[in-house]
Formats: sequence, structure tokens, C-alpha cells
Amino acid sequence: MILKSFALYIIIGITGIITFIIGYSINDYYSTDRTPVQPIEFSHQIHAGTNEIPCKYCHIYTERSRHAGVPSVQRCMGCHSIIKTESPLIEKLTSYWETKEPIPWVKVHNLPDYVYFPHKRHIRAGLDCKLCHGDIASMDRVTRVSSLQMGWCLNCHTQRGVKNGRDCWTCHQ
Amino acid sequence: MKRRNFLKIIGAGGVGSGLGYLFGKANKPPTSELIPYLIPPEDIVPGVASWYSSLCTQCNAGCGIIVKTMEGRAKKIEGNPLHPVSKGKVCSRGQASLQALYNPDRIKSPLKRTGDRGKGSYEEISWDEAISILSRNLIALGEKDENDRLHFLTSLTRGSLNRLINDFMTSYGSPNHLQYELIQNKNLLFANNASMGIQTIPHYDIANTKYLLSFGADFASTWLSPVNYSSAYGQMRQGEDGIRGRLIQVEPRLSLTGANADEWVPAKPGTESILALAIAHLIVKEGHYKGADGAAWKALLSEYSPKRAASITDIAEERIHHLAKDFVKTRPSLAIGGESLARYENGVSGLVAVNILNHLAGNIGKKGGVIPNTAEPLTGKSTLESKNSIASLAQAASDSKIKTLLVYNTNPVFTTPNAMKMKESLQKIPFIASFSSFMDETTAMADLILPVHTSLEDWGDDFAEPAVGYPVATIMQPAVSPTLNTMGIGDIILSLAKGVGGKVKDKLPWNGFSDYLKDAWKDSYSKNKAMSASALTFDGFWNELLARGGWWPSERANGKAVAVSPNAVESHISKTPSHFEGNESEYPLYLTTYPHSHYLDGRGANLPWLQEMPDPMTSVVWGSWIEVNPKTAAKMGIKEGDTVTVESPYGKIKAHAYLAPGIRPDTVSMPIGQGHASYGRYAKDRGSNPIEILPFKKDANTLELALNSTRVRLSRTASSDKMVKIEGSTRELGRNIVQTISPDKFNKMNKETA
Amino acid sequence: MAGLLARIAERWNIHREPGFFKKLDHKWTMVIDLDKCNGCGACVTSCYAENNLPVVGKEECGVSRAFSWLRIERYVEGEYPDVKVKFIPVMCQHCSKAPCETGCPVYATYHNQDGLNVQVYNRCVGTFTCATYCTYDVRRFNWRTYKFEQPLDQQLNPDVSVREMGIMEKCTFCIQRIRAAKDKAKDEGKTVEDGDIQTACVQTCPTGAMTFGDLQDADSKVAKLAKSPRRYKLLEELNTDPSVIYLKRVMKEGPSKHG
Repeated sequence: MILKSFALYIIIGITGIITFIIGYSINDYYSTDRTPVQPIEFSHQIHAGTNEIPCKYCHIYTERSRHAGVPSVQRCMGCHSIIKTESPLIEKLTSYWETKEPIPWVKVHNLPDYVYFPHKRHIRAGLDCKLCHGDIASMDRVTRVSSLQMGWCLNCHTQRGVKNGRDCWTCHQ
Repeated sequence: MKRRNFLKIIGAGGVGSGLGYLFGKANKPPTSELIPYLIPPEDIVPGVASWYSSLCTQCNAGCGIIVKTMEGRAKKIEGNPLHPVSKGKVCSRGQASLQALYNPDRIKSPLKRTGDRGKGSYEEISWDEAISILSRNLIALGEKDENDRLHFLTSLTRGSLNRLINDFMTSYGSPNHLQYELIQNKNLLFANNASMGIQTIPHYDIANTKYLLSFGADFASTWLSPVNYSSAYGQMRQGEDGIRGRLIQVEPRLSLTGANADEWVPAKPGTESILALAIAHLIVKEGHYKGADGAAWKALLSEYSPKRAASITDIAEERIHHLAKDFVKTRPSLAIGGESLARYENGVSGLVAVNILNHLAGNIGKKGGVIPNTAEPLTGKSTLESKNSIASLAQAASDSKIKTLLVYNTNPVFTTPNAMKMKESLQKIPFIASFSSFMDETTAMADLILPVHTSLEDWGDDFAEPAVGYPVATIMQPAVSPTLNTMGIGDIILSLAKGVGGKVKDKLPWNGFSDYLKDAWKDSYSKNKAMSASALTFDGFWNELLARGGWWPSERANGKAVAVSPNAVESHISKTPSHFEGNESEYPLYLTTYPHSHYLDGRGANLPWLQEMPDPMTSVVWGSWIEVNPKTAAKMGIKEGDTVTVESPYGKIKAHAYLAPGIRPDTVSMPIGQGHASYGRYAKDRGSNPIEILPFKKDANTLELALNSTRVRLSRTASSDKMVKIEGSTRELGRNIVQTISPDKFNKMNKETA
Repeated sequence: MAGLLARIAERWNIHREPGFFKKLDHKWTMVIDLDKCNGCGACVTSCYAENNLPVVGKEECGVSRAFSWLRIERYVEGEYPDVKVKFIPVMCQHCSKAPCETGCPVYATYHNQDGLNVQVYNRCVGTFTCATYCTYDVRRFNWRTYKFEQPLDQQLNPDVSVREMGIMEKCTFCIQRIRAAKDKAKDEGKTVEDGDIQTACVQTCPTGAMTFGDLQDADSKVAKLAKSPRRYKLLEELNTDPSVIYLKRVMKEGPSKHG
């Protein structure tokens, strides 16, 4: 009887461990933070919304490369060596600039390495940034509005009749 | 199962996954980070490749390359399509130079020896300290008036770096700059100078020849300019004119080039020059030679009758007749000599014999023949200048005549026979400084190690030798910024000049090698008419130079006519076959060694791609082997993969036996390049180095080492190390995988389609 | 009922067509002239550099796990002194009627609209079926996650995935280069021209033995070479219809004492 219950507890324990691992990896795969906290509380709302700075002013590689490009610290400082220099957030930026450290932004939109997604092709096809990124201009802290799952990509490719848009090797590498 | 137990398990599962989820959330960084540039480099667009033209330094051919870089990292090397030597192509070694750049075993900062010499204990020091140690040493030498006791040993250097080193040494007051290569061209240069009076290696026009008689020249893997000759080979075989050129290979061991030949002539080792002279004999005797000095040639060649040659070379008499007839009748034809032929004790005489053949058949100065190169126009130098050799350096060292030795990019401890006692000689030098990227065997003997940039991080230039009928200058520019705390060799010498001061500093006032290089080119630009005509200003010319990757004239200039005279060559022909050490009864087999197509003289052995790449002829990876004819092996009871002891009168090494039908039964052959005692994790303790057991034999004319000069005996032995080869069977077993068509059918087919 | 049967028959016929496509966008083809090939192996190294192939080391090589997508086979005929050696580069033949495609349970290998036989890494579950079905032994399996020693990993090509344990992979005809060329052509408002695309092996081949191009383009180099009377395909009798065309080696038949 004791032996039997011992076996039972072993089984229970193993089940617990296995589900623990499953839970851990589910978190890893599906439940990344959609609205991560950034090292500097940069507000798209102020820049792109209130001040109406065009996206491509800072994300300069959008039309030239598969990467849109995060603005360099130099680009930030281009304006902020003059504008609002006394604000605590800008002082944070200035300290990065002075210590010659890049800002470790946290990725909001992260694609696996086996996905080939060229910004260039999508922008040149005349798509609006909003289509995938949502209304960034109204976001104080950027949140990911699209799932970035394969079905979501394919939906759009199908609706728009993209040539070879459903071929695996169009988007995988 | 009881319901309660079931619920317990379910409960445990629920709690487990919930905890796992929460634990994961708390424990993991949210996602990866996105690091921007601090200041974006102007020429980099993330995700888009930039290409830089540069120079390949894996061998001495001087190929122009283009390097693909992305986000400041080198990704891929391709041949520079504009470059006349590489023609947009690059060989395995060139591809793998990326792995020299990103090698985990690179020396990361200057090192100073702390323990006993050769024991490998070093401490890291700063560059300032390293330069000051070295300059203090040189100043001390100068104070004792021992300036000429400084020796500078480098690999074959050309162009501005060579000039810089010479300037440094002459202004310091030492004549001792020695260029040493195991795979040297000195024998060929000497033979050409002696027989044709030209100081450069001519352009062998393989592309347009229709009959290529090669005496051991393995141009598909290592001979002179493999990429250029390979592309020429492709043209020769299936060129636009539709007439297929033929390749005949004379050598005791079937090399990669020999494997592609239409005919293999397995002459006895050391007798190829006799075979060449017998062919020459026949050309003159049968009246094919039309020159005025026919009688003199006849007299000179009289003793090389095919009959006598047949008995010496083990090639049938009628076959020699056949070769002579084909060689002289097929137009244009070309004879080349190298590798095995050039590395006997009488290497020069074999190469002279090849020149005689080309002269007698009227191949010199003809399309598809030997096209002399004009002297290189920018510096006009010749590598023949120095009468020194590595042997004389070893001698000087053991006589304690060297106080300080600087070593750059060459590894004599690995590439000289034990019989030469290089290592012992180096022990007698009070101070050795090595400029090297890797801890090779010679660097391991150094007191001070100054790590240099690899070619993808450094500036430089090169003048291809052999050129292609016109001079080709290539510029090396950094494709990536230095990854480690290293310095360019030119920069080191210039800062050393500053440290030493005095005359040296006055002679070399430049701040960096890139300035020195640019000024050197400015000088050439102002002097060379063709260069100044190509651009209005020097800046324009320089930018164009960097973009194109170098400078070469747009067309071929007519070189001077050269000829071979019987008087000039008489003293260089040796009448007997080359000597092999050891007597036949004790050591029954000839040993020939050859530079491996991937490792060359051993410098490629630390690159993992080259180690993993199957050897073209045997498919062996990560090791070395000895090629034995299956018949010989059967007699000795050796099976493939067995470990054998290879013993010469000068020592013994172990190697795996590879049964190769493409080798004479009285010969065994080993590749050079493996068997490193140092040189990084990929090269260390892998295979064995055949140079170790060679005798200390030199060519009398050039004092260069003879690599094919001993006999050996084999005996089976045990070893835990296994030979790994990629191939299974080398037989097709009727599967008709590589289909063939006979030359007759091919010619008929060509006529039909034309 | 009859209509349904007709539709099934129609679908069936479509799927019987090579590649399932009525008309391909391109028909990428490689022509290899065996008379030019000298077996030097530059193509193999180039492939390693371009496609992030891992170096597996001596022990793994010894159990046939070397990763070369492209290998040079050597065949030896005869005994000394009449030895003949023949070289042939063999990579994925991109068969139009590929046996591997029929086997994959998860549809990770399929034919695309360019006539390429492609392998989708993130779909592959590693059943090894395709490698078993493959006629040419060109598929390579990741027996483990091979490590790229730092800083050698800095050389990795960002346009090609680094594969993990349990994934089957093979020659892709450098599909990333095809994609880049198409991308560039699209930017310039053109279509891809002959010579725009060179796979890594073709690009580096010193003897110029290899040519790559679109067989559907009648003016392309490969289309011209493919008409050569020396043409043959590897193990053609198995009816896999490869996209790699070899040109026969010119070589004396039988034993030859004299040239």
C-alpha cells in the first residue's frame, strides 16, 4: 500500500515536472511581452503623433534594406542636443551618448531567424506602415498589434494576390 | 486508476504548467534586444552587402578578390571579375582566408616570453611596450655596431611592403633581408634567367595551346598561379575555337593535374629531365628544328638518345618518339615544368631542359606558348637578387652570427628538415621577434610576438608573378576593421622606425603604412605614362584603383624576343638523374613529397574548411597519408588505412597508407602541410610532416631545399589514430556515372555541328 | 457524379505534371562540363562559405556525416600504368520528378514555381524519408546542433538559416542568390537576365566548368549548352529528370599506352 502510494507520488511528481517544462516553453514561444518596457520611455505619440515626424525620418533603411533600421544614437542627438535638453529622459539619452554606449532597445516585433521579411519590398509595394504596426502615432509605448504568425502573413498575401505569395521559400530562408 | 489519484495527477499537471509559465515569465528576458549604431557608418546599410576589392595572400599568385561584407563583417570571398589573374575566380584556399580572419586561435595581443624558450609561456603586453622592447633591442645592437647582425626573415613579399622592409633594413645598416618560401619559384627564375636571360617568370599561355606537355607542374592545385591556369585549362579543353587541347603529364605520382591529363607518363623519379632532353634530342635529330645553331644543339644533345633515356627513365623508347612527334607537330604546343621536377637536387637542370624543349619546338614568344613578361614597371625588382637561402640563415644562426631575428609570415621550423637543425640554430639567437597572426612552430620560439592583421584587415599591394603577359598590380585594402588588438606589418615597421630613430626614422617618416602605400603609388602615377593618362588627378586615379582593385594596362605589350642558346644552357644540364639518399637494398622506395592543394606548405592547416575538405585525389580529411601503389602494398601486406612507419636515413614518421593506383610501384608519396606541433586547435597534432625525414640537400645553383631527395622503407605499425576518407569505392561498377566520349568521336561531332 | 469524377481526374492530371505547375516561372538549370572540371574542389569550399555549412570534425566525417551539399566524386579506372581518373561534382539534382518529394510526410520538400526542389527547414521534422528516397545521396541530416566556434560564427551568411539538430538539408541552388537577383531586378523594373544569377559554386569554379541559368530562356547560355551532343543526365534511366545537365568527359576509351 505504501509502495503503491509512493509510485503514485512519483507519477504525480513527473507529471508536474513535465508540465512545468511545457508551461515554461509555452511562455517562451507564445507569450512574449507585447508592450515591453524600453530603457528610455520613448514616446512615439509625441514624435510621430504630436510632432508628425515621418516614420522614414528615423527608420532610414526602410526602402533600401530588409531591415527598417533603428535610429542611431547620433540621430537622436541630432535634435536633442538642442530640443528639450533639460528633460530627465533626454538626460538619460545624453548619458548614453556621452558614455558612447548604444541604447539597448527591446524588440517589439521579433521574427524567427528562418523568416525572410524584407521591409523594402513591402514599402515599395506601397503598403502603409500602419497596416502591420498599427497606429504607432497614438501609442505612448509601442505595442505589437499583429500576431506576426504565419497565418496572418498568408492572409494578407492571399487577399492581395501576391505573386508566389504562398510559396514557402518566398518568406522562409 | 482511482478517480482521486487521477485528479491528483491532473492537479499536479495544472500546478506544474502554471508555475512553469510564471517562472518562465519572471526568469526570461522579454525578447531580444535591438542595438542601434551609435554613429552610423556611411557605407553600411544593415542587411545590404558592401563589396571591397582586395588581394588574396593565401599563396603567391597574387589573385584579385572582392570581399562581401555585411554590417562590418566579412562574409564571402569571390574573385575580382576585372582582375586579369583571377578573372573572377578563386580557389579553396582563397575562400578559406575568411577563416584566417575569424580564426579562434589568432594571437589576440602582443606577447612577451616569460618562461623558457619554446615552452609556450607568455604574458600579454601593450603595443607601446612591445614596440619599445623591440626598438631598444635594435638600438642596443646599433650601439655595439652590430647592425648587420639583425636578420629579417619573411615570406615572399613584393610591392610596397618589400620596399618598406628593404628601406628599413638598409637604413638600419643590415643587408640581411631573406625571403623564404618552401614552395619557391627561385629555381624557375634561375633556370629562366640562365637559359633565356629573362628575370621574370613568363606567361605560360595554357589557354591557347593545343598540346601541353607538363613535367610535374600541378597547376590545378598549387603550381605558380593555380586559378589563372585553371581558367586557362578550361579554355584549352573546351575553348571557343572548338579544337580541344591535349594535356600530357610526366611525373612519378599522379597529381590532380595528372589525373586530368590525357596521358600519364610515369617516369622514374629524378629522371624527368633526361626524358625532356631525349625529346629535345629527337626534335633536333629528325630535323624539326630550323635554327642556325642546329649543329651545336645536336652536339649538346647527342648523348640523350631515346634508347639510353628509355633505360634510365623506364619509359618505352617508342613512347618517347611519339611524345617528340606530337610535341613538335601539334601547333601551338607548350612545355611546362614545376613541382616534382623543380624540387629535385638538380631542379634547375630539369627546368632548363623544359626551356630547351620550348625553344626547339619554336614555342617561345608565340600565342599558346611561352610569352615573356616585361619587367615589373613599378619597382623593377627581381626576387633573384638575394643569394642567401634558409640554409645560410640556419648556418649563420648556429655560428652565433645572428643577434636579432625578425620573422614575418613564414615558418621555417616546420618547413625545414630535421637534418638542417633549424630549431637548434634558432636557440642560439639571443632575441627573436615574430610578426604573426598564429602561434606557429617558429613563432613558438619567439621572445616577442607582435600579432599582425590578416590580409582582410590590412593595406598592401602586390605585383603578380607570373604576370599575364602584361604587369598586374593589385591593391589590398581593409575589408573589415581589425577584430583584435593587432597591427599591420607595415605599421609595425614604421613605428619601429620611429622607436629606433636616427637614420631609420629619417628614411621612414610616415605615420602609417596606408600613407606610405599611397605615396608609393603617387610616385608611380607621376612616373608611369599609362597610369597618368588613365586619370586626371592622383586622387581620381587612387579612387579608381581602390574600386577596380588594382592597375593593369588594357592590352599586352610586345615583349622582347628571347631565345635559348646551347652555350648558355650547357653548364646547367645535368647528365645523370637526380640523386636520392639511401641505398636501394635498405630503402627500396623513392619518397616524393608535394605541397598539398589545401594546406600548401602547411599554412592552410589551421583553417577548418580546408581540413574538412576532402583531398581531391584521395578524399582523406583531417589527416595525412602516404600514397602506395596497391601492388607494392600487397607485397608488404599493407592494407588501406594501415598505419605505417616511413623511415628514411634521416628519421622516421608514421602515416596512414592510402592505396593509390596512380603512383609508380617503386615510389611512395606524401603531402606536405600536416603534422603541426603548434598552430592552433585545428592543425595541432594531426597527421605527420614528411619534411622532417628529408635529408638536408640543396640545389647547387639556388641553394634551395630539395624536397624529393631520399629513399624510404615502410613497415606496418599500430596506431589508435584512424584514416578518415569520404569516398567509398573509387570504382564506377558499371553505373556509368561519369560518361565519356572518345576524342575521335568528339572531333567528328564538332565537325558535324560546325 | 460525373462532374465530380471529371474534376478529380483533372486535379489528378495537374498533380501528375512535374512540379505540379502548368508553367514554371523559370527553369533553373546547371550545366557542368566534365571535360573542363579538374576536380580542384573550389566549388565545395565556396558552398561551405555561402550556405553556413558546419564543420563537423574528423570523427563525424568518419561516420559519413560530412556536410558538403556539393561533393566531388572521383572514379578510377585501370591499374598502373594505365590509370584514368574521372571527376564529377554532384549536388542536389533538383529533379523535376523528384523521389524525395513523394516521401515527405509533412510536405517539407516540394517543387516551387522556379522548378527548384526546395526544402523548408522550419517544416521538416526529420523523418529521414527524403534522404532514403534520394537517388543521388545529396541530402544531409543534422545529427546534432553543430557549433560554430567563436568568432568563426561572424562569417555566417545572414541570408541563410543556420540549421539545428533534426533537420534535413541539401543544395538549394543558392536560392538566396536567386531571390536577391530577382529583388534587384524588381527594383530596377526589369526581369532577371541571363548571367544575373550565379550560384556560389558556379561563381567560383576556376575552370569555368559550371554554368547556371534559365532553361526556358532560349538565348541563355545553359539553353545553348544543353543542346550539346555531349549532354547527359546522371542516372537518367531512373527517370528522375534532373535539372543538372552534365557534358561528357572527352577521354580515350580502353587502355591507352599512347595518347
